[in-house]
Amino acid sequence: MSEDAVEHHEWESSPWPLVLSVGILFFAPFAFSMYFVYDSLFMSVVCLGIGVPLILISVIGWAKESIGPINMYTKEQGLGTPAMPLFILAEAFIFIGFLVAYWVLRLTADVWPPEGSPHIGYTTPIVMTIILVSSSITMHFAEHKLEHDDRKGFIGFLVVSIILGAIFLGLSASEWSHLLHGGFTTSTNIFGSVFYSITGFHASHVVVGLCMFLAALLMALSGSISKTYVKSISMYWHFVDIVWFFVVSQVYFW
Amino acid sequence: MSGSKGGIGKFLREWIFTIDHKRVGILYLIGSLAAFAVAGLMAMLMRIELSSVGPTITDPNTYNVWLYFHGAAMILGFQIPALTGFFANWLIPLQIGAKDVAFPRLNALSLWLFWMGIVLALLTFVVPNPPDIMWTAYPPYSILSPGNTAFYSFTVLIMGFASIAGGVNLITTIIYMRAPGMRWGKLNMFVWCTMAAFILQLIFVPILGTAVTMISMDKYLGTTFFSPTSGGDVLLYQNLFWFYSHPAVYVILLPVLGIIFDIVATFARNRIFNYKVAVYGGVGGILLVSGEVWIHHLYASGMPNWIRIGMMMSTLLISVPVGLCVLSIIGTLYRGAIEFKTPMLYAVGFIFLFLIGGLTGIPLALAALDIFIHDTHFIVAHFHYVMAVAGTFSIIGGIYYYWPKFTGKMYNETLGKIGFVITFIGVNITFFAMFFVGLEGMPRRYFDYAQMPQLEDGQRLVTYGAFILAVGFLIILISWLHSLFAGKPAPDNPWGSKSLEWTTTTPPGPGNWPEVPDCEDFDPYGYGE
Amino acid sequence: MRRRFYPLLSLLMVFGLAGLSSAQSEGGHYPTAGAIPDIVEGYNHLWREVMIDITIIGILFALVTLYFLFAYRRKRPNQEGKPVKLSKAAMLGWAFIPIFVFMADDLYLGAKGWTLWNTYRTPPENAYEIQLESAMWSWKFKYAGGVETYNELRVPAGKPILVRMTSADTIHSLFIPDFKVKEDSMPGRVTYLWFYPKEVGEHLITCAEYCGMLHSNMSGKVIAMEQGAFDSWLASEQAALTEGGA
Ligand code: HEA
Ligand code: HEA
Ligand code: CUA
Ligand SMILES: [Cu+2]
Repeated sequence: MSEDAVEHHEWESSPWPLVLSVGILFFAPFAFSMYFVYDSLFMSVVCLGIGVPLILISVIGWAKESIGPINMYTKEQGLGTPAMPLFILAEAFIFIGFLVAYWVLRLTADVWPPEGSPHIGYTTPIVMTIILVSSSITMHFAEHKLEHDDRKGFIGFLVVSIILGAIFLGLSASEWSHLLHGGFTTSTNIFGSVFYSITGFHASHVVVGLCMFLAALLMALSGSISKTYVKSISMYWHFVDIVWFFVVSQVYFW
Repeated sequence: MSGSKGGIGKFLREWIFTIDHKRVGILYLIGSLAAFAVAGLMAMLMRIELSSVGPTITDPNTYNVWLYFHGAAMILGFQIPALTGFFANWLIPLQIGAKDVAFPRLNALSLWLFWMGIVLALLTFVVPNPPDIMWTAYPPYSILSPGNTAFYSFTVLIMGFASIAGGVNLITTIIYMRAPGMRWGKLNMFVWCTMAAFILQLIFVPILGTAVTMISMDKYLGTTFFSPTSGGDVLLYQNLFWFYSHPAVYVILLPVLGIIFDIVATFARNRIFNYKVAVYGGVGGILLVSGEVWIHHLYASGMPNWIRIGMMMSTLLISVPVGLCVLSIIGTLYRGAIEFKTPMLYAVGFIFLFLIGGLTGIPLALAALDIFIHDTHFIVAHFHYVMAVAGTFSIIGGIYYYWPKFTGKMYNETLGKIGFVITFIGVNITFFAMFFVGLEGMPRRYFDYAQMPQLEDGQRLVTYGAFILAVGFLIILISWLHSLFAGKPAPDNPWGSKSLEWTTTTPPGPGNWPEVPDCEDFDPYGYGE
Repeated sequence: MRRRFYPLLSLLMVFGLAGLSSAQSEGGHYPTAGAIPDIVEGYNHLWREVMIDITIIGILFALVTLYFLFAYRRKRPNQEGKPVKLSKAAMLGWAFIPIFVFMADDLYLGAKGWTLWNTYRTPPENAYEIQLESAMWSWKFKYAGGVETYNELRVPAGKPILVRMTSADTIHSLFIPDFKVKEDSMPGRVTYLWFYPKEVGEHLITCAEYCGMLHSNMSGKVIAMEQGAFDSWLASEQAALTEGGA
């Protein structure tokens, strides 16, 4: 939008928020209820087929609009960094909710671990912790590089972070499939519920983080990357890392 | 509303795709009033059903779905979005001298997610096996129920996410985008109150999110959080739920108080009485105490005895900060020059209705007394007075107050006053009678009361009241439609208010002011000499 | 601070002080040791007191509001208010005096509520115990010797009754309005309530926690019988049970 738009006082608009929310409506509630409530795999896939493209289109469209001067009336680009902690505060309370549920259930249980829980090895979580912490560190370096306008260095460290994050997810998935094949499922006992939901929620945060990293990578490759965006996502990534300490210490090692 | 010439495409772009905070706000308002109208319709149907012993117009299953929709839509679809969506969005940038909110696109995303939540909630009436689990959705029933619990969970999650995004957005806006010279010490009460409400949202909504996620996981994904046979605990849900839903009532109350403060100051042409104490003691106090009282919803649920006693004391103490706010509101009238325009009538009505509703919270807070009245219509009467009536009066008063600004048209004062009088009479008949029905032992969420036929007269009175009420709301609606189509153009500042939002043009254009106003010598309550 | 406010302020303070002092003097109002405390009477007493308390507060605030609305109505067009400029002392006074008064009232009511609450939650030692298992949508009462009744809670009159409850499916809530008691029953936990049927008679039981379609139909009766009649009823039920079992 150009200077002369300001003079003519145009209403600003963007179709992407609307498209994105319609996409989310199909992607989550509709697809989920079609499959789990109304037992129709077909309709569920149809809903996903509508939802996923809508989400992708709108995210890309949104990202495109965000390059360059976003809005003539606000300092949008500058405020991402202070806004992220607020968002992280809310996110933290999601994990607090799950952890409190876990503590309450565990501390009032007669025996722990409840019958039927497998022994979960310590090696995988230790390796996962090391990987996630390293990715946090590499992300920090990436941010640092960008601060000094070293785009190449930034891309390098970012790619390393993404790879580490992906390895983390892979380990998590292989552990899940190992446990599931061993007959330990969400409904085995209360530990199964807690284990899968807490690690699952954490993993979903890793996925979100990785998506944001990919977006940053695309932006960096196309030559326009905003420093506040990178600051926010790296803040988010450190948060995911810190949450993992809680997950690991509470779920695996306690 | 300003020029939508230039064809349907332009209209679509400027309204449906808008990311301007004022238009986003108005779209919030439309959605929340739609939720109010449908949920109000359900209330009328429920009242007809309850007006006589025995099945009157429907069967228990349908009644339960109506009641589910009524409770969930009124709170999640009407009041919270009207207050933290419409008023906060539309008003806060205008009151702090910003040209828009910090993240306009995110703002539009919140709006449309809220609308998707409304769509999801309305689907209750078309899908097979609609949810019938009440807005509290206690397990195990919400897990055993044949109804579609997933819709409830997702409605809450989607609207919850919209609230969180809105909270992040507006708190950032308030902190970083105040006009030069707009210091903390002279913000409008509404800004303070709403900021406190958003802080509550950021902290507590995620907990509600985990609670409803857990019920859907239990029901559909096989987890056992709330299933005692596999190590779960049914009371865990109630604690998580009320840990959010008690603060949620202050998420409603705080902006409601903020609107009342601003209306009263304008029409009494007076400063807020003891502004600092209202902000730090009143609003701050509510913020501090609201998270430590949720057990008062669980007095009869079999929680350990000591925790019920502890939370009883903190519940009682809520009356202190709320009382400070009430004192400031009433004190603002003192030595004022009060003008009884329609918005002011609603504000005055609010004071009386809130006193009734808030003070009846005191017997509820006393665990021993609550044991008898818990889950009877006495509770229903309490929260209708304090939330459904006082809260709605504040919202309607606020809409009348800002009507000239956001539509550019004046409303008809006579119609407005008639609407007020009729609703005021209606609510008092409806909900005052309901207290007595409750004291007779009528449990809530009852489709029928064949065991207590002696309650029929009382129930009928409540129903009559509800009809008067509905007529009142109809007149309000007519007065708004009348104004939209036949209202006189409004001046920039019809009330002579000193507040910043009235200094811009009517209705405000894109960017709100041509220049960001300089607020060095500005005082939103600078009345008198 | 203006002169007009003094009467209101002193009224509020007298009220709060009176509250504090009477809380002290009535500390031990409800008998606990020995005699069986009467929940219904204690309830009615506290209820009356709270109603008086909140009515006074409500009327006080409402009258002041009405007076202000009348006295400070706009008398000529474009009249402006005359805001009070509070000095620092007045500002703090208008914060701490109300805080003190409101808290005094809260603590007073809290103390009384606490006493009654303890009565509610401490069943007398000689209470007659009955088990309850609720299910959608009926009440199953279990007596000594395996006797079971549905939706009829037969109890001996003149004896405190303790009901220990749990639930087979979802949450229900045993509500006996005449005795002012209510407690949820739920799967996986045992809860209790007690009440004291002084005389022979019948009392309604309803379910107060939403439990699905027939929630509103889930009612029953407390039937308080003479001790003798109750004993012979229980004996004959037990006999019928052993016969049936044999
Ligand atoms: C906007 C909404 C709102 C607000 C503001 C309140 C305010 C209060 N509520 Fe209410 N409440 C609800 C909405 C609200 N409530 C809802 C929706 C439910 C039911 C949910 C459900 O089950 O579905 C409920 C249920 C509810 C219960 C649970 C009842 C039960 O289920 O058994 C209790 C118990 O303590 C309670 C207490 C209070 C108290 C003490 C206040 C206090 O904040 C009130 C404070 C105000 C005053 C006291 C008046 C003004 C003050 C003065 C004049 C100062 C002097 C006064 C004194 C010193 C006493 N409420
Ligand atoms: C803000 C919230 C809110 C509002 C405004 C209302 C408004 C009303 N409520 Fe509701 N109510 C709740 C929140 C609210 N309620 C909640 C949370 C519950 C508990 C649910 C549960 O147990 O889970 C409840 C439960 C509840 C019950 C208890 C049922 C039971 O337990 O069995 C009853 C019974 O009478 C009732 C009645 C009413 C009535 C008559 C109104 C009237 O005020 C409604 C009047 C409105 C209309 C008649 C709309 C029609 C208006 C027009 C057509 C005009 C056009 C509209 C515009 C102006 C835009 N409500
Ligand atoms: Cu059983 Cu309601
Ligand atoms: Cu509450």
